[in-house]
Amino acid sequence: MNPAVAGGGKPGRVRGWAAGLLRWLSLRLRLMLVFGLVALAAAVSASAIAYWLNRDAVLTRTQDAALDDFRKSLKEATDPLPAVPTCPELQDAADRMADNTQKYEVLLIARTEGGGPCTAASADDLLTPRTVPESLRSAVDRKRAVAGSNTSPYHLYWQRITVKGTPYLIGGARVNGGGPTGYMLKSLENERQDLNSLAWSLGIATALALIGSALLAQAAAATVLRPVQRLGEAAHRLGEGHLDTRLEVSGTDELANLSRTFNRAAERLEKRVAELSAREAASRRFVADMSHELRTPLTAITAVTEVLEEETDALDPMIAPAVQLVVSETRRLNDLVENLMEVTRFDAGTARLVLDDVDVADQVTACIDARAWLDAVELDAERGIVARLDPRRLDVILANLIGNALKHGGSPVRVSVRPVDDELLIQVRDHGPGIPKDVLPHVFDRFYKASASRPRSEGSGLGLSIALENAHIHGGEITADNSPDGGAVFTLRLPMDASRLSQPDQGPGQGSGQGAGQGGGQGAAGRSDARGEGEGRDAGRRGPDEGSER
Amino acid sequence: MTNVPFLLLIEDDDAIRTALELSLSRQGHRVATAASGEDGLKLLREQRPDLIVLDVMLPGIDGFEVCRRIRRTDQLPIILLTARSDDIDVVVGLESGADDYVVKPVQGRVLDARIRAVLRRGEREANDSASFGSLVIDRAAMTVTKNGEDLQLTPTELRLLLELSRRPGQALSRQQLLRLVWEHDYLGDSRLVDACVQRLRAKVEDVPSSPTLIRTVRGVGYRLDAPQ
Repeated sequence: MNPAVAGGGKPGRVRGWAAGLLRWLSLRLRLMLVFGLVALAAAVSASAIAYWLNRDAVLTRTQDAALDDFRKSLKEATDPLPAVPTCPELQDAADRMADNTQKYEVLLIARTEGGGPCTAASADDLLTPRTVPESLRSAVDRKRAVAGSNTSPYHLYWQRITVKGTPYLIGGARVNGGGPTGYMLKSLENERQDLNSLAWSLGIATALALIGSALLAQAAAATVLRPVQRLGEAAHRLGEGHLDTRLEVSGTDELANLSRTFNRAAERLEKRVAELSAREAASRRFVADMSHELRTPLTAITAVTEVLEEETDALDPMIAPAVQLVVSETRRLNDLVENLMEVTRFDAGTARLVLDDVDVADQVTACIDARAWLDAVELDAERGIVARLDPRRLDVILANLIGNALKHGGSPVRVSVRPVDDELLIQVRDHGPGIPKDVLPHVFDRFYKASASRPRSEGSGLGLSIALENAHIHGGEITADNSPDGGAVFTLRLPMDASRLSQPDQGPGQGSGQGAGQGGGQGAAGRSDARGEGEGRDAGRRGPDEGSER
Repeated sequence: MTNVPFLLLIEDDDAIRTALELSLSRQGHRVATAASGEDGLKLLREQRPDLIVLDVMLPGIDGFEVCRRIRRTDQLPIILLTARSDDIDVVVGLESGADDYVVKPVQGRVLDARIRAVLRRGEREANDSASFGSLVIDRAAMTVTKNGEDLQLTPTELRLLLELSRRPGQALSRQQLLRLVWEHDYLGDSRLVDACVQRLRAKVEDVPSSPTLIRTVRGVGYRLDAPQ
């Protein structure tokens, strides 16, 4: 119908704000177009009717007046003439007839005595026999039978013609009873001018109506579109997660209804989300509390199992395996609770970075060494790559990645450390069967078991998930993939300086880790307070920088 | 210091207290126990232990407060036993003057290793002395004086100062210091170093907020300088 509507119908073609603009425009344009069309139809039909009625009236009046006058003066002028007039007589009659109030020219044609026709025109240049159209002449000359309602053989006929661009009324009649034939020619120039100016004013009126309708449409569009726009914005905000977004409702129209519906929907959504997050928070708190509660008995058990472990050699050989089992399972339980605690800290957002400048190669070596993996792991790392990160968390990541590679992949496990731009790239590659395609997306899931039939592994099922969380808190990432040469490859990317990472939910907490990590002078002042009475905890914890020393 | 280390264990949970007492006794320690902070402080005055193992969560006055009260008069080593490894606890604990901390559930062996490492810090090893400005470190007597006055340093603070003074002008990383002073084999919590450095500065520096002796070396760690 119009390009804007078509554009609105296919928003896929135009992207971004242009599409939005077009959509808005289209609705606006559509409204204006409809208004315009209605106004145009009304104005044009009204004007047309007015024009035609006017034209008809004006022309009929002029015509009637002129033709009546012509008829009368033709009679008056030809009555005194002899049956066969001479040319001068005819001329004289024509001149007399032309001298009228209606300002028409006259042409008289009669047979003279000589037998030839004589034409007498009041204005030779304007009205000649040639001017008279053939159709009129034949109509005038045709003799009709006198019968019934027709009382005379000849009638007055008229026609409108245009000569040299000027409209004329031309009429003609034959005097009944063998008189001369008379023609009249009246200029309709005045009437045309009147009608033209009428048409002009009607055109202007139509244009004005169109403009008015456009303005009206604009106003209507504004009153309709502004609430729609507000609704759109509110929906957008709601979509961004501002669930407390509400619309002001005024009036009782459809838009107010829509706003009310929107508000109700938003309210329900907010309530539902609040419910869900409360439930989730409750279950998380439960896990956190539970792992806390598990710790106390576990601490006692752990302390005692070591005593038991040292005594296994002296125990009854029937009892010793039972004790061994208790010891090893206690250790597993310990690890599991430890990991659960770690996970709940991540979930609660209370996990903090304790940053230090660390030689990465040293850290990796220490990690492998501490777990007696030196024989099974090939390390490809240059010394001297110093990164600012949390060494404990790096150790957790490495231990989980390497431990996982050793457990599921098989040695040799190859660990390579490379600095790439301002990132640290650590790859852990094993030479096992690799990770099945359907498992790959789930390797970082908590408690995900590659297959139900697979025997219980020694891990807690949280290792890789914790490793990933630890990478995320550094602003890093871990990806898992299969090497084309076989075996799984875990790639860890960490920023070289994790302190540049501003963690949004870590206001003072970040300060705590880092402030303490850098041991500023002001911290020392706070510390002396803390020593005295413990008032200056915060100041001490947030010891800001090294700058004060320099 | 006697040959058998005498420990005071302050822990409110009966099971943990009994289990740890059992475990530590088997590791060759003499252990006295207290179930609350108040009892612990009383025992401390009566029995003069070599080291205190202190639980953070205590009824009545909590572990941090006990730690602070001990530090007002005593410089004996304190190891915190924290059930929550939430970082804020660790930081508060270190600021209140603890020398080291162990996170529950703790293995007896780990706790024993920490205890022995802390106790070793008070051992003498050399017979010389060094002076840095008005600060005099007497390695033979294991004393530190500033302007002729004796400074009360905990064994850990003393050991940290000794390690730094052994390499004057040389920057030591936090991880290095953790290995040297705390004997953490690897991956120590660098906040231990920072907290201890702050405590040490408070005692040895003229103006702790603008240290001239123990300087921070950005991106590395700490360094002991002789003032110009």
